[in-house]
Amino acid sequence: MENIPKIELSKHEHKPLQVNPIKLSQPMGAALAFMGIKNCMPLMHGSQGCASYAKVFFTRHYNEPIPLYNTSVGDITAILDGGDYSILMAIENITKKNTTLKPELIGLCTTGLTETKGDDVRNVATHIEIPYCYVNTPDYEGGMESGWALTAKALIKQHTKATTSIQANKLLLLPHVSMQPIEVEKIKEFCENFGFETYALPDLSTSLDGYLSQNQGKLGTGAIGIEEIKELGTCATVVSIGLSMQIAAKALLEKNPNISHHHFDHLMGQQMSDNFVATLMKIRQIEPKASIKRFRGRLQDAMLDTHFLIGSSHFVITGEPDMCVGMCELLCSVGGTVDAVISTVYSSVLEKISAKNVFVGDLEDAVPYFENADLVISNYHAERLLHIQERHTGLILRGFPNYEELGNQLKNDQLYEGSTYFLFEVANKLREVKHHGKHN
Amino acid sequence: MVSRAKIKELMNESACSHNKEKKKGEGCDMPKPGMAAGGCAFDGAQISLFPYADAVHLVHGPQTCLGASWETRETLSSYSGRNHTVMGFTTGITTNDVIFGGDKRLSSSIDYIVEHYAPEAIFVYSTCVTAMVGDDIDMTCKEASEKHAIPVVPVHAPGFVGGKNLGSRLAGEAVLEHLIGTKEPEFTTPYDINLIGDYNVTGDMWEYLPLFEKIGIRVLSSLSGDGRVGNIRTAHRAKLNVIVCAKSLITLCRKMQENYAIPWVSVSFYGKRDTSFAIMEIVHALGDETLIQKAKEVIAEEEAKLEEKLLPYKKLFAGKKAVLNTGGNKAWSIASGLQDLGIEVVATSVRKSTAEDKEKAREYLGEEGILMMAPASEQSKIIDEKNADILLAGGRSLYTAIKKKISFIDVNQEKKVSYGGYNGLLNLAEDLKYAFSNPVFANVSKKAPWEAQ
Repeated sequence: MENIPKIELSKHEHKPLQVNPIKLSQPMGAALAFMGIKNCMPLMHGSQGCASYAKVFFTRHYNEPIPLYNTSVGDITAILDGGDYSILMAIENITKKNTTLKPELIGLCTTGLTETKGDDVRNVATHIEIPYCYVNTPDYEGGMESGWALTAKALIKQHTKATTSIQANKLLLLPHVSMQPIEVEKIKEFCENFGFETYALPDLSTSLDGYLSQNQGKLGTGAIGIEEIKELGTCATVVSIGLSMQIAAKALLEKNPNISHHHFDHLMGQQMSDNFVATLMKIRQIEPKASIKRFRGRLQDAMLDTHFLIGSSHFVITGEPDMCVGMCELLCSVGGTVDAVISTVYSSVLEKISAKNVFVGDLEDAVPYFENADLVISNYHAERLLHIQERHTGLILRGFPNYEELGNQLKNDQLYEGSTYFLFEVANKLREVKHHGKHN
Repeated sequence: MVSRAKIKELMNESACSHNKEKKKGEGCDMPKPGMAAGGCAFDGAQISLFPYADAVHLVHGPQTCLGASWETRETLSSYSGRNHTVMGFTTGITTNDVIFGGDKRLSSSIDYIVEHYAPEAIFVYSTCVTAMVGDDIDMTCKEASEKHAIPVVPVHAPGFVGGKNLGSRLAGEAVLEHLIGTKEPEFTTPYDINLIGDYNVTGDMWEYLPLFEKIGIRVLSSLSGDGRVGNIRTAHRAKLNVIVCAKSLITLCRKMQENYAIPWVSVSFYGKRDTSFAIMEIVHALGDETLIQKAKEVIAEEEAKLEEKLLPYKKLFAGKKAVLNTGGNKAWSIASGLQDLGIEVVATSVRKSTAEDKEKAREYLGEEGILMMAPASEQSKIIDEKNADILLAGGRSLYTAIKKKISFIDVNQEKKVSYGGYNGLLNLAEDLKYAFSNPVFANVSKKAPWEAQ
């Protein structure tokens, strides 16, 4: 480890290019967020490739047909159009071609191209009858996590009605982008167990969640619709999960100053789950159900069962900041040593991570750390890199993209229950690696 | 820089067959807002050149262009050095570069790549944003090329100029302008060919290259499946250009005919008939009697071997009927493969096919065969009417198969094995065998206990 050049955590890049990148773009995060809204037509404002790449990417990641449209900006519209023409034509062409398509919301995100040419996309709403939400997501800024968060913020800002009244048991969850559909569903159920009427924004729990149905891949099938988004101002409680989602929570507080906001950087491990439960108990003034209490005991048992393997192991984690911070804390809570966290983008939450090295980078930067690690938690691209290295290092696939595994949308790492599964998965993988010896 | 004149020329390719039905100057379709599916010009350019494993492919643009697209295509390479096709390189420009220009970042990135990876060449792809802000990519590449003494090739196919096909043509232009004719081969033979447009996806080429070797055909260079930059630079010395299943690179071949008097043939290696036909096309074009004789022998021998291996499958597939719903040349190439296996193809989709593809589909399917113009609405009815046993289509049609309780193969999904050449037919046969015997489609069509029976 002494030979690896030290890279500091910084907002600035440490080299001019990315080699084997892990960063993904803002418009992709925005498009995914729109897929988490019921009957939303996600529309990417850019050249056809932006949407095509995103579509292929999500199709392979989720193994589901992906609803994603584009405005196909061409050389002429790139110069002469201020945005309105391509967007309106696209909506007209798409709905004309498929008359059974009844979008209840147009979810528009911009791209690097249309931001560079400076399109003003705000005005489109005045020309169409379908509700419209726009979000500015140039792909030369931020990343997937911020694109997703900006979309949640835009939906609230543009559509939620301002009010001062609240409904005491109504709760809004704002999950960060790296949460799987099943995780959103589980956290919603968890809150419902405390008697909350629970909403999530965006809500992928019924979208891309591995569910067989007809007419898939035409419109978003998320569990929250535009009518419900309009009424979110009456939530008594908003819970943001992941630092990136705080902007969306703030947007909601502006709609109704009486809402109480609770923020959690993540929901992994005993401490954060306890904090979350304590908050819900305080609001509802009730005890958790027996099943929740029981899973806390199972998590504790899992922590003890796995501490020996994890406590003697070295880890490297790559991914979006809000995902990395939770995994790190859970592994550290059972004695794991995290040698390096390589993040896609800068986020101040990275400053809180207790790993030996935390920085923004790519897989080229990560490889030297792979060579000393027992287990790597990374995306699909890490697989080949680990395969060609001499030391046998295990890999657990998390984050985007995961082209290798089927059913990854049903993997749950959150709260007492998910953390238990996660610890066992890590420990079992470590046992496999360590039994193989240092070389396989 | 990419100019409108160049794009117009490429969109009006005179050698392109489907251009004949259009009015003069009309050319290929430009994308219509909301209607364009499929990749952009940059995507097409990248697909065409990426298989060069000895070169680094540097994408000069923001995050979407490469971040989501690297290491996604199974374009295999036998290169013994560091295989750059499974790596991703991008300048990943930020707001600063959009405002002040990205030339400096590009130039430092090239220096970094040469220092750390020492490739044989670097392809630099412009993208929407870097083309729009006007980075002088040509100059940066020229300077870098002189500084590092390796080809640094600018590829100008920003996404907004059009679709995949155009991008592929633009990639051809870059190769023609910067690489072909810049190096002499160590030796030449009268049987030297260039393979154009086969990207060796899942090792397709490796299914037929051994046959070439047996016959005595030598592949001088490839654009770009399992290709090397060093070889494509010598491509001007070949005797024949062989286009494999790709209309997009016709312009390149026409220009090579004009500049270097190299004739070209267009072939496909899907199925037995096409493979044999392709080989005969090539040897006839090379025009050497002993070569033709040798080719006939090899084909006879290979076909006999294949027929024997196909026998058990043919027995299994006897009387089976298939409906095919896929795009472009797959409309007839997969149909041809299915027929070689003794399966009757009762319908195929020609929704996105060119006039030439439609003709071929008609020829293969015969008068009885149905050419579907609106497969999404037609296929269900045809399956009933013709009593089809299997549907080969993209994932979106899965539900049709389940509803009709027939077998299904997703032909658009990234496949892991090759369907090319003679052996590819055996791979297709294996996949079909398992699809026909799998009860899953009938099982998932069963109603839940709470649904009306």
